[in-house]
Amino acid sequence: MKVNTRNFVQTAEREMQNQYARAFLALMPPVIAALRVQVMGSFPDPEAAQELGRAIRAEAVARMPDLLEEFERNAVAAGARVLWARDASEANELVLSIARERNVTEVTKGKSMISEETGLNEAFKNNGIEPFETDLGEFIAQQLERPPFHIVGPAINVPVEEICDLFMKKAGMEKATTDPVELGYAARLFLRDKFRRVRMGITGVNVAVAETGAIVNVENEGNIRFNKSSPLTQVSLMSIEKVVPTMNDALHLVRLLCRNCTGQGISAYVSIDRGPKMKEEFDGPEELFIIIVDNGRSRIYEDVKMRQVLRCIRCGACLNLCPIYSKIGGYPYGWAYSGPMGQVLNPALLGVDDTSDLFNACTLCGTCREICPAGVDHPELFLYYRELEAEGKKMSSGRWEARFFKLWGTAAAHTGLWRFFYRLVRPVVARYGKEGKIKAMPGPFEGWFKTRDLPVPARRTFRDRWRKSMSEKNLSRGGME
Amino acid sequence: MGAVSLFIPCTVDFMMPEVGEAVVRLLRRLGVEPVYHEEQTCCGQPAMNAGYPAEARKAAKHFIETFGDDEVVVSPSGSCTAMVKYHYPELLRDEPSWHGRAEELSNRIYELSQYLVDVLGVEDVGASFDGTVTYHESCHILRRLGVSRQPKVLIKKVKGTTFIPMDQADACCGFGGEFSFRYAFISEEMVREKVDHYLKSGADLLIISEPGCLLNISGYLSRNNPDKKALHLAEFLAGVQEGGVK
Repeated sequence: MKVNTRNFVQTAEREMQNQYARAFLALMPPVIAALRVQVMGSFPDPEAAQELGRAIRAEAVARMPDLLEEFERNAVAAGARVLWARDASEANELVLSIARERNVTEVTKGKSMISEETGLNEAFKNNGIEPFETDLGEFIAQQLERPPFHIVGPAINVPVEEICDLFMKKAGMEKATTDPVELGYAARLFLRDKFRRVRMGITGVNVAVAETGAIVNVENEGNIRFNKSSPLTQVSLMSIEKVVPTMNDALHLVRLLCRNCTGQGISAYVSIDRGPKMKEEFDGPEELFIIIVDNGRSRIYEDVKMRQVLRCIRCGACLNLCPIYSKIGGYPYGWAYSGPMGQVLNPALLGVDDTSDLFNACTLCGTCREICPAGVDHPELFLYYRELEAEGKKMSSGRWEARFFKLWGTAAAHTGLWRFFYRLVRPVVARYGKEGKIKAMPGPFEGWFKTRDLPVPARRTFRDRWRKSMSEKNLSRGGME
Repeated sequence: MGAVSLFIPCTVDFMMPEVGEAVVRLLRRLGVEPVYHEEQTCCGQPAMNAGYPAEARKAAKHFIETFGDDEVVVSPSGSCTAMVKYHYPELLRDEPSWHGRAEELSNRIYELSQYLVDVLGVEDVGASFDGTVTYHESCHILRRLGVSRQPKVLIKKVKGTTFIPMDQADACCGFGGEFSFRYAFISEEMVREKVDHYLKSGADLLIISEPGCLLNISGYLSRNNPDKKALHLAEFLAGVQEGGVK
């Protein structure tokens, strides 16, 4: 997938003008958030259930190397073929070679974020293979050639008229309609036909179970189940952090995933599969490939401060409550993952140099950390990414900033210097003031003043006032006036 | 009653000294004589949040030197309190002697309302205000310190005051330090929504316990709704008795 993280500000400014998206963003997150709270109430102790999820993810990530080997052994024992891919191109090449060996020219796909990451659809197209996204939202986003707007609803912001046009042009719909049922039916006809003919199906994996070698998928449309049962060849891609120790762990994560993701007690479909079709079975793929993709994650794993990124289970709860996502939507994040999820994942996977705005455009309000069922501490990671970025600045164009903070640190440790700098800076700032207020000021703070005033920095600081009251021994009640 | 040491954040010291004065007046009214160490500077948040933990560490050490022997430290800011409480031990992890002092100090620093209600056991500060009041739940106070009941109970106990909850009181106001000017186009939308909720609540007054949020929200009000006011909790509790609010 094309990386567009450097255009965060431009894209965000544009998206904030999009009245349709804004109206939608004002509406959806509070609804999902309320549903989530309601359905979390089906746990006897919702906070304990969240804590258990966090503990499972912490253990799974800590033991990841061993768990992956255990998963491989058990999956292979069940008849799956397990392949390992170091990076995106290796992963794509593996899928392509499986397709080529079987003379496949069309594949169906269930939603898979790791395949968005590796740009699998593009690789298919460049090699003469036509991929069909079968998740309705992904299907629309794919046809419109847009990144996902939201991890759960990738095209949820697209107006229905636009979907109608799209289906008439690209999905064989004959009569124009804005009726959602008719649109859904048109997509169904189009995709059913693919499922009938296509011999290779691609899916992602929500959870992989080390103790059994099973893979678990969670969905609401049944298209992933189709991809796992209809084609002769099933290829399931998973990133290395999907593995958990036990089936119990996996089921608890599914409970949390559904509740945190869409506010459902359970999604419409949950499929748990272990190996391909067995002799006595009449359903399922003849062969199952599980491709375990690293794509930069073992590097992340090596960094003990960054490692916790790998706990994320892609539920999207953080998007729905983020006060910034709810203003700008999913596009500014510029890649496979958006919202706070994207703000922690994209810099880890793409590097901090190309993703600066993602971890800086945040007030550190901590809503994401509070709601996260996987125990990701987003604000802590943002601070860490800022630190990594600052390390780079010490040597490059941003040197003035590094120098400024060096000076700042020295002043903060020396009261006299601290006060001296204030006396130096105050008049510079205060000359923009009028009647106690600053209404405009050029320079880095300019943006503040477009809609806000600022008090003029005090001629007599609190410390000055305290000293005065002390010297006057004016310590009676109400003294410091 | 032991001595209470005041940590006055830079924003208050330089931009809103009247908030600091209100803290002093309020504590004195409650029979607590505060101590103010004139050597204090900054908690280190600006450097920490900008990605310069080494510089924040210098501020942290200075802070610990300044406040390390105090029995109780009180600050009219939740984010500064959280900085000392949660980031200092982490910042000084690799320096055992400092780390120990940081950990100790982290148990002795309180946000103002937390100190009044949880430590001092005061709910009624003896103030009165004739009107309706709402409260903005600042991010660090609410989500970092878990403080929400305390400021509201203090407000509700003010004689003559009717507390009106506002919609999305726990939504971030969009300050975020550097965020407020670096990403002003997002920040101003957030503060606009916050102010909308305040106006829709119909309350006469908005109370805030965090200086950063106060700068942001009052700054917006001053420009767009000059007839509506936001006050720091300390000003509200200290000033109302003297009729200083309206």
